[in-house]
Amino acid sequence: MLTVMLISVALVIFFAGNAVRVVKTLRMPAHLRWELYPIPKGPEERQRYGGSYFEESGWWTKPVDTSHKSEVAFVLKEVLLLRGVWENFRALWSWAWLLHWGLYLYVLATLLALGEVLLPAGASFGTLHAAVMYGYRLACSLGLAGTLGLLVIRSWHPRVRAFTTRIGIFDLLLLGSIFATGMLLLTAGPAGLHSMISDLVRLPTFLGNHPAVWHIHVALLTFFLAYFPFTHMTHAYMKYFTWHRVRWDDSPIAHDPHAAKTLAVNLQRKTSWAAPHIAAGGTATWSEVVADADGNGAGKRA
Amino acid sequence: MRKLGDIASQSGQLSQVPVQSLMPLPAPYDRIADLPPRKVLNQKVLDRIDTSLDGFSALGLARPQTPEEEHEFVKRFLSGLEKLLSKENNWTFLEQLTLSLDHCARCQTCVEACPIYTASGHDEVYRPTFRSEVFRRLMNEYAKPGGKALAWLKGEHVELNAATLGRLLESAYRCTLCRRCAQACPMGVDNALLTREIRKLFSMEMGIAPKEIHDKGSMLQLRTGSSTGMNARAVRDNVAFLDEEIRDQTGLTIETPWDKEGADVLLIHNAGEILAWLENPMAFAIILEAAGISWTMSSDLAGYDSVNYGLWYDDAQFARVAVKQAEAARKLKVKKIVLGECGHGHKASMVTADRILTGDLNIPRESALVLLRDIVMSGRLKLDPSRNDFPVTLHDPCNMVRMMGIVEPQREILRAICPQFREMTPHGVNNYCCGGGSGFAIMSGYNFEDWRFSVAGRMKLKQILDAFADCPSPEVKKYVCAPCSNCKGQFRDLFQYYGVWEKSGILYGGLAELIVNAMTDLSQPFIKWEFH
Ligand code: SF4
Ligand code: SF4
Repeated sequence: MLTVMLISVALVIFFAGNAVRVVKTLRMPAHLRWELYPIPKGPEERQRYGGSYFEESGWWTKPVDTSHKSEVAFVLKEVLLLRGVWENFRALWSWAWLLHWGLYLYVLATLLALGEVLLPAGASFGTLHAAVMYGYRLACSLGLAGTLGLLVIRSWHPRVRAFTTRIGIFDLLLLGSIFATGMLLLTAGPAGLHSMISDLVRLPTFLGNHPAVWHIHVALLTFFLAYFPFTHMTHAYMKYFTWHRVRWDDSPIAHDPHAAKTLAVNLQRKTSWAAPHIAAGGTATWSEVVADADGNGAGKRA
Repeated sequence: MRKLGDIASQSGQLSQVPVQSLMPLPAPYDRIADLPPRKVLNQKVLDRIDTSLDGFSALGLARPQTPEEEHEFVKRFLSGLEKLLSKENNWTFLEQLTLSLDHCARCQTCVEACPIYTASGHDEVYRPTFRSEVFRRLMNEYAKPGGKALAWLKGEHVELNAATLGRLLESAYRCTLCRRCAQACPMGVDNALLTREIRKLFSMEMGIAPKEIHDKGSMLQLRTGSSTGMNARAVRDNVAFLDEEIRDQTGLTIETPWDKEGADVLLIHNAGEILAWLENPMAFAIILEAAGISWTMSSDLAGYDSVNYGLWYDDAQFARVAVKQAEAARKLKVKKIVLGECGHGHKASMVTADRILTGDLNIPRESALVLLRDIVMSGRLKLDPSRNDFPVTLHDPCNMVRMMGIVEPQREILRAICPQFREMTPHGVNNYCCGGGSGFAIMSGYNFEDWRFSVAGRMKLKQILDAFADCPSPEVKKYVCAPCSNCKGQFRDLFQYYGVWEKSGILYGGLAELIVNAMTDLSQPFIKWEFH
């Protein structure tokens, strides 16, 4: 019962922690533009070389591209193939790719296992069951290979060695142990990894009957769930913000009917930057600071 | 430097930047003995200013002399760190900053993209992630709750003292903000943004910024109208002189229109052009008149200078200048602003200022490259490409290309009027910075220029030489088209340092000059092939 309670707490932390991170970012003030090309928007011919709407005369009179087709294609290449790492750091790529696919498959197998458990009792779904079994098997093998490779690269490769910290190694060891105990469970027969979900969901009171490695695996997973929202691994979904809301956000305010209102809110914020040329020795609103072009407090008096 | 924590070491210099370790250049630039000797700073200067990063000084930061001074210095920095994380003080970039602080995987995928790091022979102090990681750790440890304990747990402790801060500040001026590393980062983390936030903290909280871009830059511009110090009267006098020059050189009678209400185009040059590269504003005047464009210049404060140095180091200065420029255009009721050949001026006005120029200040802004392309392609000018029959290559200013996606207009023009046009490798959005970006082109510091030429400009010089590898002789005159005033400033100084005009016959210049050089209406070539 304790295990189930701990898992529940971890799940709450997992969802709440991630939600807080997303909501906090969503609630940040509307920022200034900081896009970076190439941006997967606009006509394909222009995307080929990374061009933008600024290449057109009278661009402000033309409609903006609202299709997300190219963005989706870009994201898929990034997520499934780790294109950025492939292009810029080949030695890291194979191991990073293995680790990422280990994680994707582990999540997928778990979702399928959940599906299997939640299907009406007695129903037989042989293919689904096989997918779960092979999914976990593949996930743990790829994930373990990836983590081991990354551990070696992190500790040895001159390009990353100096930037590897205790926490970086800890994260890899944690992931590696999850995959390793998963592997051990897979070899432990029918009560192994593929039945973990069904046992957790259906038979929480009999969890004591499992071998030690089962408990270790579940404990590691539990810890990972609660730990995840506080790590840089949240890049899994925070990339939405770094890419869509910063790098690819080239929407001009000429097309934003709320721009003036948004700016007015920000200009009324009080700033306390202390350099003499900013607020001339006190707090001032941003609109006073901007009006005070000499940096002598005139804007504040105006 | 052996490890990141060395940034806090009380004595010594983290790197000597030995010439022998730098990326080799093609012959005849490979002879170390031929290079001008590095400027040696005397002991009195060395005792006073901080050169402990790499022996160079961009800012001349005075070392704190007493423990009290050091304490105060650190205290002010800490107060700035906290302000960077607050909505009130940093609404402008808080989201980008937080994302880049929190999501770096320390994978180093980005580092080989950096021309400074690679051209330095992989000197660790120039690794794009070095300053970012120090900054990230300082932020996590000293500006967030529980930071000290977590730093210890994670093994990410960085000692915070005057040495750390002196080196961090100087290192923020060893990055041109070219954002090539950001392009390579799979997480969308932006080391250039972090560099700019460091610069911002020092400027906006502590009043520390390079004098060339603050006191003699944005402050001067807000006071006089231009970072060159030219007031309205001086700029009109100087442009009147250019009109006379046009008459003398070409026989054309042109009177540059000033403050013409309701004009279609308000042309804003980087005012440095009017003083240093007269041929560029002259070429613009010739083209616009020949094409029958309704245009004007403005003599209002900042209305005749597109520079906005705040883009590189200070949000308040940035916003002040951007608003002044827009006010000048609003007053004249022009249909659009056209930005002359100035990369950062383009980005500042068209991109970064976009969300602070609302209502009637949001006057449409367009790149001069687009207008020039439209004019050339429309057939309104009579052009003879054989007049430009010499090797030409194109430099892509980072701000126009990587940060704005203006890639093809300039190429369409060059393909049409320069039969020997060839690309550099890589080019377009993957270009390398000239090495003068983010203010470097106008900064000399104490001995900063030695670094600017030997490290920052190195990759670009190699690219240019490679582009002309088929015609290396100085007898064959060659042209680097650089449609950006700051890039031209860097090329002027870089070429002078290495003797590129003498050794290779390579000249640099703008895009408009090449167009005028091809105009059949002119009896004499417009490009003079004189290095300046
Ligand atoms: S900035 Fe990006 S590429 Fe560079 S180390 Fe961080 S996550 Fe990796
Ligand atoms: S922005 Fe450019 S110069 Fe700065 S670290 Fe990145 S690649 Fe290097």
